[in-house]
Amino acid sequence: MIALLPKENLIPLLIRLGEKMEVIAPVAKGEGPDPVFVTWRGQALALDKSPLIPPIEFLLPQKEVLFRYVQESGSYTFEETPPKTRLVFGMRPCDLQAMAVLDKIFGSEPKDGAYFGKRRWTTLIALNCTSPGEDCFCSQLGSGPEASNGFDLLLTELGDGYLAEIGSPAGMLILRDCSDLLKEADEAHFSEKHRLLESAKGSLDLQAGQGRSLRQMRQAIKDADWEALGKHCLSCGGCTFVCPICHCFNILDLGVPDGERIRCRDSCILSGFSRMAGGANPRRSPGERMRNWYLDKFEYIPKKTGFAGCVGCGRCSRTCLAEIDRFTLEAKR
Amino acid sequence: MNQYIPLQAEIVDIDIESPNTYLISLALLNDSAEFHYKPGQFVMVSVFGLGECPISITSTPTRGIFQLCIRRAGKITNGIMDSRVGDILGIRGPCGNGFPLEDMKKDIVIAGGGSGFATLRSLINYIVDRREEFGKVAVAYGARTRRDLYFMQEYKGWQQAGIDVGITVDIGDESWKGNVGLVTSIIDQFELKPGSAAICGPPVMINAVADKLMKRGFDHSDIYVSMERHMKCGLGKCEHCMIGPYHACLDGPVFSYDKVKSVI
Repeated sequence: MIALLPKENLIPLLIRLGEKMEVIAPVAKGEGPDPVFVTWRGQALALDKSPLIPPIEFLLPQKEVLFRYVQESGSYTFEETPPKTRLVFGMRPCDLQAMAVLDKIFGSEPKDGAYFGKRRWTTLIALNCTSPGEDCFCSQLGSGPEASNGFDLLLTELGDGYLAEIGSPAGMLILRDCSDLLKEADEAHFSEKHRLLESAKGSLDLQAGQGRSLRQMRQAIKDADWEALGKHCLSCGGCTFVCPICHCFNILDLGVPDGERIRCRDSCILSGFSRMAGGANPRRSPGERMRNWYLDKFEYIPKKTGFAGCVGCGRCSRTCLAEIDRFTLEAKR
Repeated sequence: MNQYIPLQAEIVDIDIESPNTYLISLALLNDSAEFHYKPGQFVMVSVFGLGECPISITSTPTRGIFQLCIRRAGKITNGIMDSRVGDILGIRGPCGNGFPLEDMKKDIVIAGGGSGFATLRSLINYIVDRREEFGKVAVAYGARTRRDLYFMQEYKGWQQAGIDVGITVDIGDESWKGNVGLVTSIIDQFELKPGSAAICGPPVMINAVADKLMKRGFDHSDIYVSMERHMKCGLGKCEHCMIGPYHACLDGPVFSYDKVKSVI
Protein backbone atom coordinates (compact mmCIF):
# COMPACT_ATOMS: atom_id res chain seq x y z
CA MET A 1 0.00 0.00 0.00
CA ILE A 2 1.21 3.46 -0.90
CA ALA A 3 -0.57 6.53 0.39
CA LEU A 4 -0.38 10.28 0.68
CA LEU A 5 -0.27 11.80 4.14
CA PRO A 6 -1.55 15.40 3.89
CA LYS A 7 0.81 17.78 5.72
CA GLU A 8 -1.80 18.77 8.30
CA ASN A 9 -2.20 15.09 9.25
CA LEU A 10 1.46 14.48 10.15
CA ILE A 11 1.09 15.70 13.75
CA PRO A 12 -2.16 13.73 14.33
CA LEU A 13 -0.34 10.62 13.01
CA LEU A 14 2.53 11.10 15.46
CA ILE A 15 0.11 11.78 18.34
CA ARG A 16 -1.70 8.54 17.56
CA LEU A 17 1.56 6.55 17.39
CA GLY A 18 2.71 8.28 20.57
CA GLU A 19 -0.16 6.66 22.44
CA LYS A 20 1.49 3.27 21.87
CA MET A 21 5.18 4.05 22.00
CA GLU A 22 7.82 6.67 22.73
CA VAL A 23 8.19 8.89 19.66
CA ILE A 24 11.66 10.26 18.87
CA ALA A 25 11.62 13.15 16.40
CA PRO A 26 13.84 16.07 15.32
CA VAL A 27 12.91 19.43 16.84
CA ALA A 28 14.62 22.84 16.97
CA LYS A 29 16.50 23.36 20.20
CA GLY A 30 17.29 26.78 21.65
CA GLU A 31 19.23 29.11 19.41
CA GLY A 32 21.38 26.30 17.97
CA PRO A 33 21.50 25.93 14.19
CA ASP A 34 20.86 22.18 14.24
CA PRO A 35 17.71 20.25 15.07
CA VAL A 36 18.04 17.47 17.66
CA PHE A 37 16.30 14.13 18.05
CA VAL A 38 14.33 14.18 21.32
CA THR A 39 11.40 12.39 22.90
CA TRP A 40 8.58 14.15 21.09
CA ARG A 41 5.86 15.73 23.22
CA GLY A 42 4.12 17.84 20.63
CA GLN A 43 6.94 20.31 19.88
CA ALA A 44 7.21 21.84 16.39
CA LEU A 45 9.11 19.46 14.10
CA ALA A 46 12.32 20.58 12.39
CA LEU A 47 12.55 18.50 9.22
CA ASP A 48 14.40 20.82 6.86
CA LYS A 49 17.89 19.84 8.00
CA SER A 50 19.49 16.61 9.23
CA PRO A 51 20.29 16.77 12.98
CA LEU A 52 23.98 16.99 13.88
CA ILE A 53 23.70 14.21 16.46
CA PRO A 54 22.58 11.05 14.62
CA PRO A 55 19.63 9.01 15.91
CA ILE A 56 21.85 6.03 16.83
CA GLU A 57 21.95 7.93 20.12
CA PHE A 58 18.78 5.95 20.90
CA LEU A 59 20.39 2.56 20.26
CA LEU A 60 23.84 3.32 21.62
CA PRO A 61 23.31 6.26 23.98
CA GLN A 62 26.04 8.40 25.49
CA LYS A 63 25.34 6.45 28.66
CA GLU A 64 23.21 3.37 29.29
CA VAL A 65 22.84 0.79 32.04
CA LEU A 66 23.85 -2.72 30.92
CA PHE A 67 22.64 -4.24 34.18
CA ARG A 68 22.40 -3.59 37.92
CA TYR A 69 24.45 -5.70 40.33
CA VAL A 70 23.04 -6.27 43.78
CA GLN A 71 25.03 -7.99 46.49
CA GLU A 72 23.17 -10.53 48.58
CA SER A 73 24.99 -12.56 51.24
CA GLY A 74 28.31 -12.51 49.37
CA SER A 75 27.20 -13.30 45.83
CA TYR A 76 25.39 -11.09 43.33
CA THR A 77 22.09 -10.92 41.54
CA PHE A 78 21.79 -9.04 38.27
CA GLU A 79 18.84 -6.94 37.16
CA GLU A 80 18.08 -5.69 33.67
CA THR A 81 15.74 -2.94 32.54
CA PRO A 82 13.34 -4.00 29.79
CA PRO A 83 13.70 -1.91 26.59
CA LYS A 84 11.12 0.71 25.58
CA THR A 85 8.98 0.44 22.48
CA ARG A 86 10.12 3.31 20.30
CA LEU A 87 9.46 5.06 17.04
CA VAL A 88 12.25 7.09 15.46
CA PHE A 89 10.64 9.57 13.08
CA GLY A 90 12.39 11.62 10.43
CA MET A 91 15.75 9.90 10.06
CA ARG A 92 17.47 10.48 6.71
CA PRO A 93 18.57 7.74 4.28
CA CYS A 94 22.21 8.22 5.34
CA ASP A 95 21.36 7.48 8.99
CA LEU A 96 19.21 4.56 7.91
CA GLN A 97 22.16 3.12 6.00
CA ALA A 98 24.37 3.73 9.06
CA MET A 99 21.92 1.76 11.17
CA ALA A 100 22.10 -1.12 8.69
CA VAL A 101 25.89 -1.13 9.13
CA LEU A 102 25.56 -1.06 12.93
CA ASP A 103 23.04 -3.91 12.77
CA LYS A 104 25.67 -5.95 10.91
CA ILE A 105 28.47 -5.05 13.32
CA PHE A 106 26.46 -5.65 16.49
CA GLY A 107 24.72 -8.63 14.89
CA SER A 108 27.86 -10.53 13.93
CA GLU A 109 28.65 -13.41 16.30
CA PRO A 110 28.81 -13.03 19.24
CA LYS A 111 25.71 -10.82 18.97
CA ASP A 112 25.40 -7.82 21.24
CA GLY A 113 22.18 -8.45 23.18
CA ALA A 114 22.20 -5.01 24.79
CA TYR A 115 22.05 -3.36 21.35
CA PHE A 116 19.43 -5.67 19.90
CA GLY A 117 17.31 -5.42 23.03
CA LYS A 118 16.68 -1.82 21.95
CA ARG A 119 16.85 -2.35 18.18
CA ARG A 120 14.17 -5.01 18.16
CA TRP A 121 11.65 -2.60 19.72
CA THR A 122 12.47 0.33 17.45
CA THR A 123 10.22 1.29 14.52
CA LEU A 124 11.73 3.54 11.86
CA ILE A 125 9.87 6.16 9.81
CA ALA A 126 12.48 7.56 7.45
CA LEU A 127 12.35 10.75 5.42
CA ASN A 128 13.86 10.91 1.92
CA CYS A 129 16.32 13.73 1.53
CA THR A 130 14.97 16.34 -0.88
CA SER A 131 17.21 19.14 0.45
CA PRO A 132 20.70 17.75 1.21
CA GLY A 133 23.08 19.77 3.37
CA GLU A 134 26.09 21.51 1.88
CA ASP A 135 28.61 19.09 3.49
CA CYS A 136 26.77 15.99 2.27
CA PHE A 137 28.25 13.54 -0.22
CA CYS A 138 25.98 10.54 0.34
CA SER A 139 25.44 9.95 -3.39
CA GLN A 140 29.17 9.13 -3.70
CA LEU A 141 28.75 6.31 -1.19
CA GLY A 142 25.35 5.13 -2.35
CA SER A 143 23.58 5.89 0.92
CA GLY A 144 21.32 8.73 -0.23
CA PRO A 145 19.46 10.89 -1.00
CA GLU A 146 16.86 8.14 -1.48
CA ALA A 147 16.34 5.24 0.93
CA SER A 148 15.80 1.84 -0.66
CA ASN A 149 15.37 -0.40 2.38
CA GLY A 150 15.83 -0.70 6.14
CA PHE A 151 12.81 1.45 7.02
CA ASP A 152 9.40 0.45 8.29
CA LEU A 153 7.81 3.43 6.59
CA LEU A 154 9.41 5.89 4.17
CA LEU A 155 8.09 9.41 3.64
CA THR A 156 8.97 11.82 0.85
CA GLU A 157 7.91 15.42 1.28
CA LEU A 158 5.92 16.63 -1.74
CA GLY A 159 4.12 19.92 -2.33
CA ASP A 160 0.85 18.92 -0.68
CA GLY A 161 1.85 16.09 1.65
CA TYR A 162 4.13 13.15 2.33
CA LEU A 163 4.21 10.17 0.02
CA ALA A 164 4.26 7.14 2.36
CA GLU A 165 5.81 3.84 1.25
CA ILE A 166 5.84 0.62 3.26
CA GLY A 167 9.07 -1.22 4.05
CA SER A 168 7.93 -3.82 6.58
CA PRO A 169 4.86 -5.39 8.25
CA ALA A 170 5.25 -2.84 11.08
CA GLY A 171 4.99 -0.04 8.50
CA MET A 172 1.90 -1.65 6.99
CA LEU A 173 0.25 -1.78 10.41
CA ILE A 174 0.91 1.93 10.94
CA LEU A 175 -0.79 2.82 7.65
CA ARG A 176 -3.68 0.49 8.39
CA ASP A 177 -4.25 1.93 11.86
CA CYS A 178 -4.06 5.50 10.52
CA SER A 179 -5.94 4.98 7.25
CA ASP A 180 -8.41 7.74 8.18
CA LEU A 181 -5.51 10.24 8.06
CA LEU A 182 -4.39 9.18 4.59
CA LYS A 183 -5.35 9.88 1.01
CA GLU A 184 -4.77 7.76 -2.03
CA ALA A 185 -1.56 8.47 -3.93
CA ASP A 186 -1.47 8.58 -7.74
CA GLU A 187 1.05 8.59 -10.60
CA ALA A 188 1.52 12.35 -10.35
CA HIS A 189 2.77 11.98 -6.76
CA PHE A 190 5.33 9.43 -7.87
CA SER A 191 6.65 11.55 -10.69
CA GLU A 192 6.89 14.48 -8.27
CA LYS A 193 8.91 12.31 -5.84
CA HIS A 194 11.14 11.19 -8.69
CA ARG A 195 11.70 14.78 -9.86
CA LEU A 196 12.55 16.04 -6.36
CA LEU A 197 15.04 13.26 -5.67
CA GLU A 198 16.68 13.67 -9.09
CA SER A 199 17.18 17.35 -8.33
CA ALA A 200 18.64 16.45 -4.90
CA LYS A 201 21.01 14.00 -6.58
CA GLY A 202 22.02 16.70 -9.04
CA SER A 203 22.94 19.15 -6.30
CA LEU A 204 24.80 16.42 -4.39
CA ASP A 205 26.79 15.49 -7.48
CA LEU A 206 27.70 19.14 -7.96
CA GLN A 207 28.99 19.63 -4.42
CA ALA A 208 30.71 16.25 -4.48
CA GLY A 209 32.50 17.25 -7.68
CA GLN A 210 35.75 17.62 -5.79
CA GLY A 211 35.00 14.47 -3.76
CA ARG A 212 36.04 10.88 -4.26
CA SER A 213 34.68 7.45 -4.93
CA LEU A 214 35.31 4.68 -2.42
CA ARG A 215 38.20 3.43 -4.55
CA GLN A 216 39.79 6.86 -4.75
CA MET A 217 39.30 7.26 -1.02
CA ARG A 218 41.27 4.06 -0.38
CA GLN A 219 44.10 5.30 -2.53
CA ALA A 220 44.07 8.65 -0.70
CA ILE A 221 44.38 6.79 2.63
CA LYS A 222 47.42 4.95 1.29
CA ASP A 223 49.01 8.17 0.02
CA ALA A 224 48.19 10.46 2.96
CA ASP A 225 50.92 11.83 5.20
CA TRP A 226 49.28 10.82 8.47
CA GLU A 227 51.84 12.33 10.78
CA ALA A 228 51.40 15.71 9.03
CA LEU A 229 47.59 15.46 9.25
CA GLY A 230 47.92 14.31 12.85
CA LYS A 231 49.67 17.57 13.67
CA HIS A 232 46.41 19.37 12.81
CA CYS A 233 44.17 16.90 14.70
CA LEU A 234 43.33 18.04 18.23
CA SER A 235 42.33 14.48 19.32
CA CYS A 236 39.03 15.86 20.60
CA GLY A 237 36.99 12.95 19.23
CA GLY A 238 34.28 15.31 17.92
CA CYS A 239 34.20 13.58 14.52
CA THR A 240 33.50 10.24 16.15
CA PHE A 241 30.74 11.46 18.44
CA VAL A 242 28.70 12.86 15.52
CA CYS A 243 29.40 9.94 13.17
CA PRO A 244 26.33 7.71 12.69
CA ILE A 245 28.54 4.61 12.35
CA CYS A 246 31.18 5.25 15.03
CA HIS A 247 30.28 2.99 17.92
CA CYS A 248 33.36 2.70 20.16
CA PHE A 249 32.32 2.34 23.76
CA ASN A 250 33.65 2.00 27.26
CA ILE A 251 32.22 -0.08 30.12
CA LEU A 252 32.48 0.98 33.74
CA ASP A 253 30.92 0.39 37.14
CA LEU A 254 29.13 2.93 39.30
CA GLY A 255 28.39 2.02 42.90
CA VAL A 256 29.62 -0.24 45.71
CA PRO A 257 28.46 -2.77 46.88
CA ASP A 258 25.35 -2.42 44.71
CA GLY A 259 25.43 -0.41 41.53
CA GLU A 260 25.19 -0.23 37.79
CA ARG A 261 27.45 -1.44 35.03
CA ILE A 262 27.37 1.40 32.51
CA ARG A 263 28.17 1.45 28.83
CA CYS A 264 29.15 4.89 27.53
CA ARG A 265 30.43 6.16 24.19
CA ASP A 266 34.17 6.30 23.68
CA SER A 267 36.34 7.36 20.75
CA CYS A 268 39.34 5.77 19.02
CA ILE A 269 40.61 9.31 18.34
CA LEU A 270 41.15 9.99 22.07
CA SER A 271 44.76 9.56 23.20
CA GLY A 272 44.10 7.00 25.94
CA PHE A 273 41.71 4.80 23.96
CA SER A 274 44.05 1.85 23.48
CA ARG A 275 46.39 2.51 26.40
CA MET A 276 46.85 -0.54 28.64
CA ALA A 277 47.15 -0.69 32.42
CA GLY A 278 50.95 -0.97 32.23
CA GLY A 279 51.09 2.25 30.18
CA ALA A 280 51.90 0.74 26.76
CA ASN A 281 49.87 2.37 23.97
CA PRO A 282 49.82 0.85 20.48
CA ARG A 283 48.49 4.06 18.85
CA ARG A 284 50.32 6.93 20.48
CA SER A 285 50.23 9.67 17.87
CA PRO A 286 47.12 11.52 16.58
CA GLY A 287 48.21 10.58 13.05
CA GLU A 288 48.23 6.84 13.85
CA ARG A 289 44.77 7.15 15.41
CA MET A 290 43.37 9.08 12.41
CA ARG A 291 44.79 6.51 10.03
CA ASN A 292 43.17 3.72 12.03
CA TRP A 293 39.82 5.60 11.93
CA TYR A 294 39.99 5.87 8.14
CA LEU A 295 41.15 2.31 7.61
CA ASP A 296 38.28 1.05 9.77
CA LYS A 297 35.74 3.02 7.76
CA PHE A 298 37.04 2.34 4.28
CA GLU A 299 38.80 -1.06 4.60
CA TYR A 300 37.86 -3.07 7.69
CA ILE A 301 34.12 -2.32 8.01
CA PRO A 302 33.53 -2.88 4.25
CA LYS A 303 35.32 -6.23 4.55
CA LYS A 304 33.17 -7.24 7.54
CA THR A 305 29.76 -5.87 6.55
CA GLY A 306 29.83 -5.32 2.80
CA PHE A 307 29.10 -1.62 3.36
CA ALA A 308 31.43 1.35 3.72
CA GLY A 309 31.88 2.59 7.27
CA CYS A 310 31.02 6.08 6.03
CA VAL A 311 27.64 7.23 4.68
CA GLY A 312 28.75 10.64 3.47
CA CYS A 313 26.67 12.70 5.90
CA GLY A 314 29.51 15.21 6.28
CA ARG A 315 28.98 15.63 10.03
CA CYS A 316 32.65 14.93 10.84
CA SER A 317 33.89 17.74 8.58
CA ARG A 318 31.30 20.14 10.00
CA THR A 319 32.35 19.30 13.54
CA CYS A 320 36.14 19.16 13.16
CA LEU A 321 37.65 21.90 15.33
CA ALA A 322 40.89 21.71 13.33
CA GLU A 323 38.85 22.24 10.14
CA ILE A 324 40.18 19.10 8.48
CA ASP A 325 37.93 18.19 5.54
CA ARG A 326 37.46 14.57 6.45
CA PHE A 327 36.61 13.52 2.92
CA THR A 328 39.29 15.31 0.89
CA LEU A 329 41.83 14.88 3.73
CA GLU A 330 42.76 18.53 3.51
CA ALA A 331 43.58 20.65 6.51
CA LYS A 332 41.97 24.01 5.82
CA ARG A 333 43.98 25.87 8.41
CA MET B 1 20.25 -12.52 26.18
CA ASN B 2 22.56 -9.98 27.77
CA GLN B 3 26.13 -11.13 27.08
CA TYR B 4 27.44 -8.54 29.49
CA ILE B 5 26.13 -10.31 32.58
CA PRO B 6 29.01 -12.35 34.01
CA LEU B 7 29.18 -15.73 35.71
CA GLN B 8 30.25 -15.62 39.34
CA ALA B 9 33.32 -17.31 40.76
CA GLU B 10 34.51 -17.64 44.34
CA ILE B 11 38.16 -17.16 45.20
CA VAL B 12 39.18 -20.48 46.77
CA ASP B 13 42.93 -19.99 47.07
CA ILE B 14 45.54 -17.25 46.76
CA ASP B 15 49.26 -18.01 46.26
CA ILE B 16 51.94 -15.35 46.18
CA GLU B 17 54.06 -15.75 43.04
CA SER B 18 56.13 -12.60 43.40
CA PRO B 19 55.81 -9.44 45.51
CA ASN B 20 53.33 -7.92 43.06
CA THR B 21 51.83 -11.06 41.54
CA TYR B 22 49.29 -13.51 42.96
CA LEU B 23 48.08 -16.84 41.61
CA ILE B 24 44.33 -16.93 42.27
CA SER B 25 42.29 -20.14 42.12
CA LEU B 26 38.59 -19.78 41.39
CA ALA B 27 35.51 -21.98 41.58
CA LEU B 28 32.52 -21.05 39.43
CA LEU B 29 29.28 -20.76 41.40
CA ASN B 30 27.03 -21.53 38.46
CA ASP B 31 27.37 -25.34 38.45
CA SER B 32 25.39 -25.71 35.26
CA ALA B 33 27.52 -23.19 33.42
CA GLU B 34 29.34 -24.50 30.39
CA PHE B 35 32.86 -23.30 30.96
CA HIS B 36 35.46 -25.06 28.84
CA TYR B 37 38.67 -23.31 27.96
CA LYS B 38 41.78 -23.86 25.86
CA PRO B 39 45.36 -22.82 26.61
CA GLY B 40 45.83 -19.23 25.46
CA GLN B 41 42.27 -18.06 26.07
CA PHE B 42 41.35 -15.33 28.51
CA VAL B 43 38.39 -14.20 30.62
CA MET B 44 36.89 -10.80 31.40
CA VAL B 45 37.19 -10.50 35.18
CA SER B 46 34.89 -8.19 37.18
CA VAL B 47 35.39 -6.66 40.56
CA PHE B 48 31.92 -5.20 41.00
CA GLY B 49 32.21 -1.50 41.64
CA LEU B 50 35.64 -1.20 40.02
CA GLY B 51 34.95 -2.68 36.59
CA GLU B 52 36.10 -5.42 34.28
CA CYS B 53 39.38 -6.26 32.55
CA PRO B 54 40.85 -9.09 30.43
CA ILE B 55 43.05 -11.64 32.24
CA SER B 56 44.59 -14.69 30.59
CA ILE B 57 43.84 -18.10 32.04
CA THR B 58 47.00 -19.56 33.53
CA SER B 59 45.77 -23.03 34.45
CA THR B 60 45.39 -25.95 32.06
CA PRO B 61 41.96 -27.42 31.26
CA THR B 62 43.48 -30.90 31.70
CA ARG B 63 43.55 -30.46 35.51
CA GLY B 64 39.97 -29.37 36.18
CA ILE B 65 41.06 -26.15 37.84
CA PHE B 66 40.68 -22.50 36.97
CA GLN B 67 43.49 -20.12 37.89
CA LEU B 68 44.39 -16.55 37.04
CA CYS B 69 47.75 -14.93 37.55
CA ILE B 70 47.26 -11.30 38.57
CA ARG B 71 49.93 -8.62 38.60
CA ARG B 72 49.26 -5.21 40.16
CA ALA B 73 48.97 -2.97 37.11
CA GLY B 74 45.84 -0.84 37.42
CA LYS B 75 42.58 -0.22 39.24
CA ILE B 76 40.95 -3.59 38.66
CA THR B 77 44.01 -5.80 39.17
CA ASN B 78 44.56 -3.92 42.43
CA GLY B 79 40.95 -4.70 43.34
CA ILE B 80 41.43 -8.41 42.55
CA MET B 81 44.62 -8.56 44.64
CA ASP B 82 42.94 -6.84 47.55
CA SER B 83 40.20 -9.53 47.53
CA ARG B 84 40.26 -12.42 49.98
CA VAL B 85 39.47 -16.12 49.84
CA GLY B 86 35.67 -16.40 49.74
CA ASP B 87 35.15 -13.16 47.79
CA ILE B 88 33.22 -13.22 44.53
CA LEU B 89 34.55 -12.12 41.14
CA GLY B 90 32.57 -11.86 37.90
CA ILE B 91 33.79 -13.95 34.97
CA ARG B 92 32.82 -13.64 31.30
CA GLY B 93 34.24 -16.03 28.78
CA PRO B 94 36.33 -17.90 27.99
CA CYS B 95 37.15 -15.34 25.27
CA GLY B 96 39.46 -15.42 22.29
CA ASN B 97 40.90 -18.20 20.18
CA GLY B 98 43.69 -19.73 22.30
CA PHE B 99 46.71 -21.49 20.84
CA PRO B 100 45.79 -23.45 17.68
CA LEU B 101 47.06 -26.80 19.00
CA GLU B 102 45.55 -28.61 16.03
CA ASP B 103 47.60 -26.49 13.57
CA MET B 104 50.81 -26.43 15.59
CA LYS B 105 53.71 -28.73 14.89
CA LYS B 106 54.66 -31.29 17.52
CA ASP B 107 58.03 -29.68 18.28
CA ILE B 108 57.32 -26.46 20.15
CA VAL B 109 59.44 -23.63 21.52
CA ILE B 110 57.71 -21.56 24.20
CA ALA B 111 59.19 -18.16 24.97
CA GLY B 112 57.87 -15.80 27.64
CA GLY B 113 58.92 -12.46 28.99
CA GLY B 114 57.70 -10.96 32.26
CA SER B 115 54.00 -11.32 33.04
CA GLY B 116 53.44 -12.64 29.51
CA PHE B 117 54.56 -15.98 30.91
CA ALA B 118 51.20 -16.40 32.70
CA THR B 119 49.30 -17.45 29.58
CA LEU B 120 52.16 -19.75 28.49
CA ARG B 121 51.98 -21.73 31.74
CA SER B 122 48.57 -22.95 30.58
CA LEU B 123 50.13 -24.31 27.40
CA ILE B 124 53.18 -25.79 29.18
CA ASN B 125 51.11 -27.70 31.73
CA TYR B 126 48.75 -28.84 28.99
CA ILE B 127 51.75 -30.29 27.16
CA VAL B 128 53.03 -31.90 30.39
CA ASP B 129 49.65 -33.63 30.86
CA ARG B 130 49.50 -34.82 27.24
CA ARG B 131 53.21 -35.31 26.75
CA GLU B 132 52.83 -38.21 24.31
CA GLU B 133 51.05 -35.92 21.80
CA PHE B 134 54.06 -33.60 21.52
CA GLY B 135 57.67 -33.91 20.40
CA LYS B 136 60.64 -31.85 21.49
CA VAL B 137 59.47 -29.00 23.70
CA ALA B 138 61.62 -26.16 25.04
CA VAL B 139 60.67 -23.30 27.37
CA ALA B 140 62.63 -20.03 27.54
CA TYR B 141 61.53 -17.55 30.16
CA GLY B 142 62.95 -14.26 31.30
CA ALA B 143 61.97 -11.86 34.08
CA ARG B 144 63.48 -8.68 35.48
CA THR B 145 64.96 -10.16 38.66
CA ARG B 146 64.87 -13.48 40.53
CA ARG B 147 62.03 -12.14 42.68
CA ASP B 148 59.92 -11.49 39.56
CA LEU B 149 60.04 -15.10 38.31
CA TYR B 150 56.66 -16.88 38.32
CA PHE B 151 55.90 -20.57 38.97
CA MET B 152 59.42 -21.42 40.24
CA GLN B 153 58.22 -24.54 42.01
CA GLU B 154 56.99 -26.00 38.70
CA TYR B 155 60.20 -25.86 36.60
CA LYS B 156 61.51 -29.15 37.96
CA GLY B 157 58.28 -30.95 37.04
CA TRP B 158 58.49 -29.62 33.50
CA GLN B 159 62.08 -30.88 33.19
CA GLN B 160 61.02 -34.27 34.52
CA ALA B 161 58.46 -34.37 31.74
CA GLY B 162 61.30 -34.05 29.24
CA ILE B 163 60.92 -30.35 28.53
CA ASP B 164 64.05 -28.19 28.15
CA VAL B 165 63.66 -25.28 30.54
CA GLY B 166 65.90 -22.21 30.35
CA ILE B 167 65.39 -19.32 32.76
CA THR B 168 67.07 -15.93 32.68
CA VAL B 169 66.86 -12.62 34.53
CA ASP B 170 67.73 -9.09 33.38
CA ILE B 171 69.40 -8.12 36.63
CA GLY B 172 71.27 -10.80 38.58
CA ASP B 173 72.31 -10.75 42.24
CA GLU B 174 74.27 -12.99 44.60
CA SER B 175 71.22 -15.20 45.26
CA TRP B 176 70.86 -15.97 41.53
CA LYS B 177 73.14 -18.66 40.09
CA GLY B 178 71.47 -18.93 36.68
CA ASN B 179 71.58 -16.99 33.40
CA VAL B 180 71.61 -13.23 33.25
CA GLY B 181 70.56 -11.76 29.91
CA LEU B 182 67.79 -11.70 27.33
CA VAL B 183 65.41 -14.54 26.50
CA THR B 184 67.09 -14.76 23.10
CA SER B 185 70.31 -15.83 24.82
CA ILE B 186 68.40 -18.85 26.20
CA ILE B 187 67.06 -19.68 22.73
CA ASP B 188 70.70 -19.72 21.52
CA GLN B 189 71.45 -22.48 24.02
CA PHE B 190 68.66 -24.76 22.81
CA GLU B 191 69.17 -27.44 20.22
CA LEU B 192 66.21 -26.78 17.97
CA LYS B 193 64.74 -28.09 14.78
CA PRO B 194 62.18 -25.88 13.06
CA GLY B 195 58.70 -26.45 14.49
CA SER B 196 56.11 -24.16 16.04
CA ALA B 197 56.62 -21.43 18.62
CA ALA B 198 54.42 -19.73 21.21
CA ILE B 199 55.56 -16.31 22.40
CA CYS B 200 54.13 -13.82 24.87
CA GLY B 201 55.88 -10.81 26.32
CA PRO B 202 56.83 -7.20 25.66
CA PRO B 203 56.83 -6.21 21.94
CA VAL B 204 60.63 -5.84 21.77
CA MET B 205 61.09 -9.33 23.19
CA ILE B 206 58.51 -10.84 20.79
CA ASN B 207 60.27 -9.38 17.75
CA ALA B 208 63.72 -10.41 18.97
CA VAL B 209 62.64 -14.00 19.67
CA ALA B 210 60.72 -14.29 16.39
CA ASP B 211 63.73 -12.98 14.44
CA LYS B 212 66.00 -15.46 16.13
CA LEU B 213 63.63 -18.37 15.42
CA MET B 214 63.18 -17.39 11.78
CA LYS B 215 66.96 -17.30 11.38
CA ARG B 216 66.97 -20.86 12.70
CA GLY B 217 64.52 -22.01 10.08
CA PHE B 218 61.11 -21.43 11.67
CA ASP B 219 58.42 -20.23 9.27
CA HIS B 220 56.77 -16.96 10.34
CA SER B 221 53.35 -18.59 10.05
CA ASP B 222 54.42 -21.25 12.60
CA ILE B 223 55.29 -18.64 15.21
CA TYR B 224 52.26 -17.83 17.37
CA VAL B 225 52.18 -14.66 19.38
CA SER B 226 49.75 -13.85 22.20
CA MET B 227 48.99 -10.12 21.98
CA GLU B 228 48.08 -7.80 24.83
CA ARG B 229 45.52 -5.08 24.16
CA HIS B 230 43.17 -2.85 26.13
CA MET B 231 39.71 -4.46 26.03
CA LYS B 232 36.23 -3.61 27.21
CA CYS B 233 33.54 -5.82 25.67
CA GLY B 234 35.30 -9.05 24.69
CA LEU B 235 32.72 -9.37 21.88
CA GLY B 236 34.51 -7.51 19.07
CA LYS B 237 32.23 -4.48 19.29
CA CYS B 238 33.86 -1.78 21.43
CA GLU B 239 36.90 -1.46 19.12
CA HIS B 240 39.44 -0.96 21.92
CA CYS B 241 41.50 -4.03 20.98
CA MET B 242 41.74 -3.43 17.21
CA ILE B 243 44.94 -4.67 15.62
CA GLY B 244 44.57 -3.62 11.99
CA PRO B 245 41.53 -5.50 10.67
CA TYR B 246 41.52 -7.89 13.64
CA HIS B 247 39.99 -7.76 17.09
CA ALA B 248 42.38 -9.19 19.67
CA CYS B 249 39.37 -10.38 21.72
CA LEU B 250 37.82 -12.46 18.91
CA ASP B 251 40.44 -13.13 16.23
CA GLY B 252 43.18 -13.29 18.90
CA PRO B 253 44.73 -12.91 21.35
CA VAL B 254 46.89 -15.53 19.60
CA PHE B 255 47.99 -14.56 16.09
CA SER B 256 50.53 -16.10 13.75
CA TYR B 257 53.50 -13.75 13.51
CA ASP B 258 53.05 -13.09 9.77
CA LYS B 259 49.64 -11.50 10.47
CA VAL B 260 50.72 -9.04 13.15
CA LYS B 261 54.46 -8.43 12.81
CA SER B 262 53.91 -5.01 11.24
CA VAL B 263 52.03 -3.76 14.31
CA ILE B 264 54.07 -5.28 17.17
